[in-house]
Amino acid sequence: MSVHQGRPSPLQSSRARWTVRVIGITAAVATAATVWLALWVTPPDVTQGDLVRLVYLHPGVAWVALYLAFGLAAGASLLYLWPRTRSLFWDRLAAAAVEVGVVFNVCTLVSGSIWGKPTWGVWWAWDARLTSTAVLLVLFLGYLALRRVPAEPEARARRSAFVCLLAAVDVPIVHFSVLWWRTLHQGATVLNPDLTPTIHGSMAWTLLLGFVALTLVFVWMLLVRYQIGALEDRLGSGELDMALRQRQAEGAPEDEDEAA
Amino acid sequence: MGYVVAGYVIVLSLLFLYGVQLVWRRRRLTRAVERFELLATPGDRPGDLPSGRGAAPGPGQDAQPRAGSAGSR
Repeated sequence: MSVHQGRPSPLQSSRARWTVRVIGITAAVATAATVWLALWVTPPDVTQGDLVRLVYLHPGVAWVALYLAFGLAAGASLLYLWPRTRSLFWDRLAAAAVEVGVVFNVCTLVSGSIWGKPTWGVWWAWDARLTSTAVLLVLFLGYLALRRVPAEPEARARRSAFVCLLAAVDVPIVHFSVLWWRTLHQGATVLNPDLTPTIHGSMAWTLLLGFVALTLVFVWMLLVRYQIGALEDRLGSGELDMALRQRQAEGAPEDEDEAA
Repeated sequence: MGYVVAGYVIVLSLLFLYGVQLVWRRRRLTRAVERFELLATPGDRPGDLPSGRGAAPGPGQDAQPRAGSAGSR
């Protein structure tokens, strides 16, 4: 089996770190522009008033959590399980995507709840969309907990990949919940069955910029989280090797004495 | 408007704090790896080990950190 030969990961070179930094700065600028457009430039909605300004944030974080993060994690898990593409790279990528996705999933639930209180009169309702999103959060928290159970790296990667694919079944349920059941949650604004967006003008552009900004934030977080995983593996394996050598060096004379 | 401001403050603060935590973790680990490599004798560096363990793998490469090591979760 091929292993790395002491050279840094493609994501740890100075060029990669520079790229990650540029993505981070671009994400911060795009997010600031979205906030400025959302809070100061776009007009209030005829029906929702100022509350529509939360709509520039909430669908963006939901898009990242549901489709980008958990979709990427499911894809990476599938590639890990596929014998031809099996590599711990995919396992580490899935772990990074899920951790970032969980943060975005929490943001989705929080922003939705804050929008729901003045709109529906309650912070939370056991609605199909809300409940399936909360279930998704619990499933992926379980995935992260499973990864902390000590095991051989391959065994951990294999069972994590299975669990990730099982949890990802909830993603289409969340997406279609507003069509399959009668829910409080409104239907899709952009990704509706007819693909005819029901938002226009500066509101549509701000929503689009919000999607782009939060996608960039996700990409930046994913890359940094991947680098952390790579550094942990590098440090862990190196330290263990050194500890084993020290233990062997310490134990060798004693063993000889015992044998004598 | 209070709900709107609260929503933006909470969500953006969560993302910001998570981002700061990521950068802090990466910096701490980078320093730990550098320190470890300085401590190791040239022949003992992780990359020079006979087992080939050391730097992180890229796509298509397999790393096999051992069970119980401080590998990525």
